[in-house]
Amino acid sequence: MGAITIQELTKSYGETNVLKGIDLAIDDGEFLILVGPSGCGKSTLMNCIAGLEDITSGELFIGDDNVTSVNPKDRDIAMVFQSYALYPTMTVERNIRFGLEMRKYPKDEIESTVKDVAKLLQIEHLLDRKPSQLSGGQRQRVAMGRALARSPRVFLFDEPLSNLDAKLRVEMRTEIKKLHKRLGTTIVYVTHDQVEAMTLADRIAVMKDGIVQQFGTPYEIYNDPANRFVADFMGSPAMNFVECIVFEGNLIVESGNQRHEVVIPNTQAVIDSGLETVILGLRPEMITEPKPHAESGYITQMQLGVQVTEPTGPDTLAFGEWNGQEIQARLSPEVGAQAEIDGEVQIQVDTGKAVLFHPQTGARI
Amino acid sequence: MSTINQRLGRTLIYTLLIGFALIYLAPLYVMLVTSLKDIEEIRSGNLIALPEHLNFSAWSKAWNSACTGSECEGLAPYFWNSVRIVIPAVMLSTIIGACNGYVLAQWQFKGSNMLFGALLFGCFIPFQVILLPMAKLLAWLGLANTVVGLVGVHVVYGITFTTLFFRNYYVAIPNELVRAARLDGAGFFAIFWRIFLPMSTPIFVVTVIWQFTQIWNDFLFGVVYSGPGTQPITVALNNLVNTSVGGKEYNVDMAAAIIAALPTLLVYLVAGKYFVRGLTAGAVKG
Repeated sequence: MGAITIQELTKSYGETNVLKGIDLAIDDGEFLILVGPSGCGKSTLMNCIAGLEDITSGELFIGDDNVTSVNPKDRDIAMVFQSYALYPTMTVERNIRFGLEMRKYPKDEIESTVKDVAKLLQIEHLLDRKPSQLSGGQRQRVAMGRALARSPRVFLFDEPLSNLDAKLRVEMRTEIKKLHKRLGTTIVYVTHDQVEAMTLADRIAVMKDGIVQQFGTPYEIYNDPANRFVADFMGSPAMNFVECIVFEGNLIVESGNQRHEVVIPNTQAVIDSGLETVILGLRPEMITEPKPHAESGYITQMQLGVQVTEPTGPDTLAFGEWNGQEIQARLSPEVGAQAEIDGEVQIQVDTGKAVLFHPQTGARI
Repeated sequence: MSTINQRLGRTLIYTLLIGFALIYLAPLYVMLVTSLKDIEEIRSGNLIALPEHLNFSAWSKAWNSACTGSECEGLAPYFWNSVRIVIPAVMLSTIIGACNGYVLAQWQFKGSNMLFGALLFGCFIPFQVILLPMAKLLAWLGLANTVVGLVGVHVVYGITFTTLFFRNYYVAIPNELVRAARLDGAGFFAIFWRIFLPMSTPIFVVTVIWQFTQIWNDFLFGVVYSGPGTQPITVALNNLVNTSVGGKEYNVDMAAAIIAALPTLLVYLVAGKYFVRGLTAGAVKG
């Protein structure tokens, strides 16, 4: 019903190609996140789905209907905007009713829908107010209420939380997730915040320069990135990238004055590629203080010279160098504090989930 | 220390402001007192002295029996002519300007900026330039010397200004509002009617005051395009002052001038506080 199929969709403004052939299949009831740096085309793609922007070429289906050139209002979608776009002269109640009135719903149905939506979002006490009398979080709720009232096939969220302060953003994030669980309607959600993407999504489409770089579950995106861009963009703190010389399928890591041969899972692929150096991608949490029960063939113990530490509370990030390139290790607060004093620390490196990239193209090996 | 200096500065500023205000208001005062004196008192008395007793006969003469050329019916018929011209002209030019501004600000199409530029150019066309071609056009349309023709001229000439006002007001409104309404199922006119018009009060007031003042005070179009029965009050005032039967009746002239100016004054007094607010509303958001 609310499935969305996008086939070879392109969008150009004159000479500029903003979207360069997007193919996505979104299941009914799925929570899809479009994420990427600003200018990557994610908002344009959303506007194309909404019908607010014309598609240059390609096709778009919602359910079984080809909606490529269907008027936005007939696509049975609702959208929550970054600025909320509440009608300033109308009360909250009239804002919510507006879409229903335009669609000529019967009066009693409108009344009961407004009541239900207001109750669901806990904005019953705000119904008589104007948008200018509401706080940011309340406006956000009203904007969602307006979208919910029509119970459309698809919800579109365009960076809905970016105007809220940090604490409220986390609260509303949880609320949106709960709402999705409860309603089970397809959601397409645009954000540039990778934390929002990881926490909310069933599947994520990471975009850059008008191309979908990777389309997968948060787990796949995080642990099995398709290329260096995706690996770098997703995850906070960011992944470490170290260029290493290949020696018999193992990687050479120099830390301090020591030289280590690090064993990696896909030795054969590295040998087959014939590259002399590769980029080793390791998330900070794979470089830790030695753990007593860590036993696998991929553990390497070494010393790390610590230049500076950043305590975050639950753990402390330590900055050091491998092969002359900066890396971050994730230490416990106690070990981190001691490392700051000593200037170095004993670490364990777990390369069991390490990912490797081509040094020039950034493609996965 | 600073408070004394501040107070001194303040006093100076207010003295200056009040002084300028008095200079600015002085002619109005003279008009008012002169209109209330009889002709003997004007000849013998002081220009700025208050009248010895209030005498409204000049007002009633100006209104219904002073001679404007060969007719001697006062300003009254011309006053109503002006009303008949001003009301439709202001309404039409304002409504058309609102529609134009809405389209140019929120429904940009290919060449819409060019069109806006061309419209803006209209603001700079002097009245005199279009006098002859417009007269030809009106004659060809059979609208010469009619109220309809005069209304048409004022509407066409006013559209450039009203469009500019509304466009600048609406351009500050985020386009997401239109997008939200489109997804809600509202069409072009529903969005205009239900969302944009309700938040346009300040700019409507500005435009109405502007257009009312322009059209009511217009003399050139009025004198060129009107006929004997359709002359506006400004033309009649001119004729009244220039028609002398016996000596010059300054009191009647002054009363007539005030009568001619009253409607614009009234409009400004009623809606003036919106005027400043509306003029700045487009420029400063929030």
